[in-house]
Parts: sequence; structure tokens; C-alpha cells
Amino acid sequence: MNQAYTVTQINQYIKNIFIRDQILNRVYIKGEVSNCKYHTSGHIYFTLKDAAGQLACVMFAGQRRGLTFRLEEGQSVIVLGSINVYERDGKYQLYASSIQLDGLGRLYEQYERLKKALEMEGLFDKSHKKLIPQYPTKIGIVTASTGAAIQDILNIAKRRNPYVQLILYPAQVQGIGAAQSIAKGIMALDKLNLDTIIVGRGGGSIEDLWAFNEELVARTIFNCNTPIISAVGHETDVTIADFVADLRAPTPSAAAELAVNDYRTFLTTISDYQRQLNKIMIQKITYSRGLVREYKLRLDYSSPSYQIQQKRQRLIDTEQKLHYLMERSLKLKKHQLQLIITKLEGLSPLKKLSRGYAMVIGEDGKPVQSAKNISVDEVITLSLLDGEVKARVEEISEIERGYK
Amino acid sequence: MERHGIAMNEKDIKLEDAFERLNHIMEELEKPDISLENSFNLYQEGMKLIKVCNTSIDKVEKELIILNEKGDINEL
Repeated sequence: MNQAYTVTQINQYIKNIFIRDQILNRVYIKGEVSNCKYHTSGHIYFTLKDAAGQLACVMFAGQRRGLTFRLEEGQSVIVLGSINVYERDGKYQLYASSIQLDGLGRLYEQYERLKKALEMEGLFDKSHKKLIPQYPTKIGIVTASTGAAIQDILNIAKRRNPYVQLILYPAQVQGIGAAQSIAKGIMALDKLNLDTIIVGRGGGSIEDLWAFNEELVARTIFNCNTPIISAVGHETDVTIADFVADLRAPTPSAAAELAVNDYRTFLTTISDYQRQLNKIMIQKITYSRGLVREYKLRLDYSSPSYQIQQKRQRLIDTEQKLHYLMERSLKLKKHQLQLIITKLEGLSPLKKLSRGYAMVIGEDGKPVQSAKNISVDEVITLSLLDGEVKARVEEISEIERGYK
Repeated sequence: MERHGIAMNEKDIKLEDAFERLNHIMEELEKPDISLENSFNLYQEGMKLIKVCNTSIDKVEKELIILNEKGDINEL
């Protein structure tokens, strides 16, 4: 059987372990305050807890210097102290020597509270947001006079349009007095009747950017008459100033691009307009000219002088045609005549006569066609081509020539 | 918060208004039923606007102005 220790012995043993431990002698612990009791003796008893556990704490009256505010239920705190065993109860406790509010938690809380309040008041409403002028001539900047933010803004603004006047109010952008400095800058620039104001700074921690979460800055932005572009920190940093501003840019560089128009684009736009105008006009004029030509043509066609000319021409044409047809008809008839003449000539007995033939005409004056129709001693006339011969028939002989 | 109307005065021209007017002129000109006379008038107005836009930007490169604490311009 092993040796059995007493409760006291074991408690002491555990206590010694704690005393010898480096970390437990002086440690910072963060958690949420609960069950806080201010004892009349001046000691404060409370529990520190988080999602999975809790720790009993006490701050003795003698250590009260380490607490500068009233400890309350629900606060996020960081406690500096030592963890020791209270033998009497067999428990261990955190003996606090100083307690601070957990900065970050508190800040976020503040942020949420102010954001909600201002939102309810309507400071973030879209209806209040002014349009950012597209073609500004004067732009104000509220930011630190040194650092990446102002350099980026200046570089990009110059590159896009060097003819825009930039006016800088060098402000303190973090630390005590920053909010006041920023607000002062906005108000000063607002008096100068500018087109746009850029308010912002480069990246940093939430504490660094805190000025842009202050109510003073938010209200100054809201009350400003000039359109404001906010550009605080990096893309992921969103401050209350960003909600109130008329436009939020994710970075100072982006703000410069949003605020300053590109001069080259402006020139292109203008020359495009010019080209378009000219093109349209030329189209219209060309079309109108075409119409005029068409109308002139139609007028010409319907004019009396044109009509007369037409008719005259027709007359001439008709005359020519008549002429031609006449000629042709004549030619045709001449030709026909010639044919008949030739035919006639062919049939002409005179032709026969020229070939040594004579026409024999009897006493009765009629042509003798057959030897049978003539008798001896009859006086016949021989009709020659160029004369007539009277002759007496001496002898008649009939010949069978085979011609009927 | 209106600051200027569409003035033909070179110094007062508000470029946004000018471009809006030019767009409108284009739209009108592209309509098929517009008379030639009106076309000429609109064309002239358009060209005039363009000229004013061009001259409205004084091509002088600007130096950065830095205000002092009081918000006044520092006399360099």
C-alpha cells in the first residue's frame, strides 16, 4: 500500500508546484468579467470567463491602484497577476495586481455603437449622398503631408489630369487630436468652393485608423457642402467615415482615380462628338442633295419645254419613219415593176420578132395561126420588127411538127 | 446643389451639362424627320459647344497648394 498523504500535505504540494512555476507567478490573462462583487473590505471578487471555462479572481484592497475604472459584468479585460492555490478551499485563484480594459474589444464595441446610432439618425442614407463631379477643376485633400497616401494621390492625379488644381490640408491622421485635425481640414477646404474633397490615410491598425471612426469626423463629413470621397486604409478597412462619405474608395489611389477624370478620355470624347456631328451632317446633306437632284429631274420631265422637245423629236422620228417606209414601199414596187417588165419582155412578141420571126396577118387583119387558115393568092401582111411587108401566098404545105 | 446652368460662357461651362446637351443634340439629329434647317442649327450649336469644352480647360499644369493650419494658402 502506498503512503497516504493528508489533504493539507497534498494542497501544499500543489501550492508549491504553482509557486515554482515561472508563468503562473506573473501572467496576463484576458477574459470576460462576471459575478463581480465589490466587498466592503475593499477587496473585489470576480470570475473571468471565456467560451469554455472560467477562473476565480480576486483583487485585494492593497492592489486597487491597479484598477482605474469600475469593474462591471460583461467587460472584456486583461488581468495581470499570479495564480496561486488557496489551500483552505483547495482551489486556485488569480490574484490580480492590475486590470485593464481589453482595448480592442472596447474599440469594436464603440465602433458598433456609434455606427448604429448614426445609421439610425440617417447619416448613412443614400438620399444624402452627393454626386461626385465628373469634370472637376479643383480638388481638396485631407491627409498626412507625408506618407504613401498623399504620394499615391498626387501621382495618379497628375498622371490622369495635370490641369486639375489640388489643394492639400496637411492633417494629423492618428493619435490624440487627429479627429479634430481632420475635421478642421474638411471645414477649411469646404470654404474654398471646390469640386470634390478626398479624406483619408494609408493602412494601419484599428487604433491608427481610429480618428476616422470618431463622431466629430463623421458629422463634419455629413455637414460638408462639398462632395467627399473617403479613402481610409486598405480595401478591408471600413471606418464610419466611409459610411458617411458620398463615395467610398478602397484606397487613396482609387480615390484619386474616382475623383480625377482622365484628360485623354475627355479629349477622345470631344473628338468623337465632333466626328459624329460631321458625319451626321454630311449624311444629311448628301441625302438632301440626292433629293434635290431627283426633284429637278422630275421637274425637268414635266416642264412644257421638255414636253415640246419630246413631241418635236417624235415628229422628226415619225417623219423619218414615214420617209423610210415610203422609200421601201417604192423600192418594192419598182422591183415588182421590173419583174413584170422582164416577164413581159420575155413574152413580148416583138422580141420574137427581132429574132427573125414575123407575125403573119391575114386579109381579115387577124394573125394567121395555122396553115389551114390561109389560101393561095391571099394577100398577107408580114409584121417585122421595124416594118410591114405585103406578100402573096404562092404555095401552102402542111407539116406535122408534133406541137399542139 | 446646382452651381451653373448650361452657359456658353467659356469660364462657366459645366462639362457634364455640355456633354448631356451634346448627347441630346446627337439624338435629335439622328431622327429621320428633322428638317435640314433645324439640323444646321443643331449642328452649329454642337460645334460651338465642342469648341467651348475644348477651351474650358486651361492647359496649365497646376502645382499642389498646401494650406496652413488656419486653412489659408501658404504664401511661398
